[in-house]
Amino acid sequence: MRVLLIEDEQRLAENIVAALREIGLAVDHAADGESGSYLAEQGMYDAIVLDLMLPGKSGQRVLQDLRREKLHTPVLILTAQEGKESIVKLLNAGADDYLSKPFDLGELLARIKALIRRAKGVSTPVIAVSDVELNTVQQTVRRRGQFLDLSPTEYRILEYLIHRPRAVVSKQELLEHLYDFDWEHHSNVIEAHISNLRRKLNIAGTEPLIETLRHRGYRLREEGVAP
Amino acid sequence: MTKSFSITRQLIVTVLVLELLSAVALIGAITIHERQVQLKAFDSSLAATAESLMGAVQDAEDESDNVMLDMRGVQVARDAAFRVEDESGRLLGSVGDAPHLEMPPSGAPVFRNVVVGGRKYRFIVLRGLRIVDPAKPNGGVRHNVTVTYGTHLGHVWHEVLEAIRFFAVATVILLGVTAVVMAWLIRKGLSPVHDLAREAERISSSDWHFDAPISAKEMVELRPLVAALEAALARLQRSFEQQKRFTNDAAHELKTDVAIVKSSLQLLSMRKRTVDEYSRGLALGLDDFTRLEMTVQKMLTLARLEQPMTSDSSDAAPQSCSLHSVIEDVLYQSKPLAELKSIGMNFEFNADARIRVDRRDALQLCSNILLNAIQHSPDGGTIRIALIVDKETVRLTVQDQGEGISEEDRAYVFAPFYRGDPSRSRKSGGTGLGLSICKAICERAGGFIHIANNATGGAVVIVEIPAESLSSDSTLSASVKAQ
Repeated sequence: MRVLLIEDEQRLAENIVAALREIGLAVDHAADGESGSYLAEQGMYDAIVLDLMLPGKSGQRVLQDLRREKLHTPVLILTAQEGKESIVKLLNAGADDYLSKPFDLGELLARIKALIRRAKGVSTPVIAVSDVELNTVQQTVRRRGQFLDLSPTEYRILEYLIHRPRAVVSKQELLEHLYDFDWEHHSNVIEAHISNLRRKLNIAGTEPLIETLRHRGYRLREEGVAP
Repeated sequence: MTKSFSITRQLIVTVLVLELLSAVALIGAITIHERQVQLKAFDSSLAATAESLMGAVQDAEDESDNVMLDMRGVQVARDAAFRVEDESGRLLGSVGDAPHLEMPPSGAPVFRNVVVGGRKYRFIVLRGLRIVDPAKPNGGVRHNVTVTYGTHLGHVWHEVLEAIRFFAVATVILLGVTAVVMAWLIRKGLSPVHDLAREAERISSSDWHFDAPISAKEMVELRPLVAALEAALARLQRSFEQQKRFTNDAAHELKTDVAIVKSSLQLLSMRKRTVDEYSRGLALGLDDFTRLEMTVQKMLTLARLEQPMTSDSSDAAPQSCSLHSVIEDVLYQSKPLAELKSIGMNFEFNADARIRVDRRDALQLCSNILLNAIQHSPDGGTIRIALIVDKETVRLTVQDQGEGISEEDRAYVFAPFYRGDPSRSRKSGGTGLGLSICKAICERAGGFIHIANNATGGAVVIVEIPAESLSSDSTLSASVKAQ
């Protein structure tokens, strides 16, 4: 999952980026409204954390422009302003959630995860597809009740795929949502990660859970219950 | 209970009292006049009756040439009293207790007021000559007849009282009508005051809108009040909004700083870390905390400076300091920073002067201005600092070679938390309170600070503060070059 943080306060941004990376999210940071707006409109983020007071372009305008471009990326607003009216206005303008400064870092992370989940049509932190159960809070995976030992990257690949069951996910999409700016560098290793993941998920005598569709990408099979 | 005072009541009472007084005076005058008129009429009726009594004295038709009173054809009032006598005192006729009254020596009739039987009577005494048998050769017998005729004066007083009563009743009705009409008129006339009050009542801290009613504006007497109200409200609203903006900005600033500190610590405690990570995180957290502390400190400084001088009880006598030595100190302190950007600092002065500013405040004033100039100077530029002491004022100018200041920024550059960017970018560092503190220091010392663009480019900050005393030197010039 890849998150965009638009925040001009350098130290605050550093902390949020570090925290988001620690829970296994890929994070990009924009320090002003214009570059933030540009990045947000690339449409490769699973959530956007947006500060309101930004140099160049205000948070409100970034949000408006994003929604005008018909992008439905969930947006969480960070604000130090008082007043319920502006919050109502922001929610009406297309924001999905808000937190006022000073906020609790844990709460921010939980809200971002909830936003990502919900945007993908999942409302609980435990997602089950066929006999695979993924707990996004504990970041654990079980298949048929057995805990699987996955590396962080493998977990993140599975997490992304499980949020989009039956859909074909291209390698580029996977890369975009798993890594920060320099995702091209990871292009070659992703196949290795997927093959490891497939191996760990495999149960003898069953169809592999993750299908590879040549030149198109990967797909998580939902009906992969034992034949 | 407070003493209340009503213009309406006072006006009505005044008008009514005046009306009452004039009515009383009028009634008095009417009484006198009426009495006069009535007496005159009374007297003429007395005289007429007396004349007819006189006429009723006739020859007695006896041997002697006596006279008698023939009352046929003479009408006298019911309560009248009269006596008719001849010259020898013989009573020719009488009714009631007519007294003997002094005869007038002349022939003119006299009037007398006499109390008879406890009642006031007015009598006429008329002397007339009756001649019996005037056709006789001796010219007839002459009889000097005296008629004393009087009637009860009550008639006169009755008439007068009637007149008084009529006027009194008319006055009472008039007073009543006046009071009602006045009350109505005054209430109607004062309705703009009520309109104004109603409009003023709506004003609250959240809604400052005040639109004086047209009726109040049209009323000449109310116009100054309306104008004063509007002006006072505008002033209040301005300062209220300024206060509110400051509070909002301060809250924003503090929240951001707190958010940074909090997130730094929470990030550190997200999981177990190595000693190295902890010490790095703590150092960063401490930096963040120092910034929060600085913001709070500057806010407190500003709050202290903006308080009136008199309430500063800790040091009763305001301290003073030498501006020249303060500038020297500040130049020394900011030298390393200027050297980083290879900025030269040139200090010129014509004399030293003491200003009534606490030394720490003066240091802060000068260093804020100088640091601001360094921040806005291009690398390798020069900052010119000039101290000019005039008779009573000290003028400090700090001139940089930066990009100057836009007209838009000039208006707000001294406002708290203003950073010359609508987003209040904090990248440039500082709290946005430095110039506000400068302004507060200058104004506290009775001076002012303003910023302008230099003709040759760059901005110039000008400070003027009243001098306490001056130790006049010949024109000196010192120059501190950093480089």
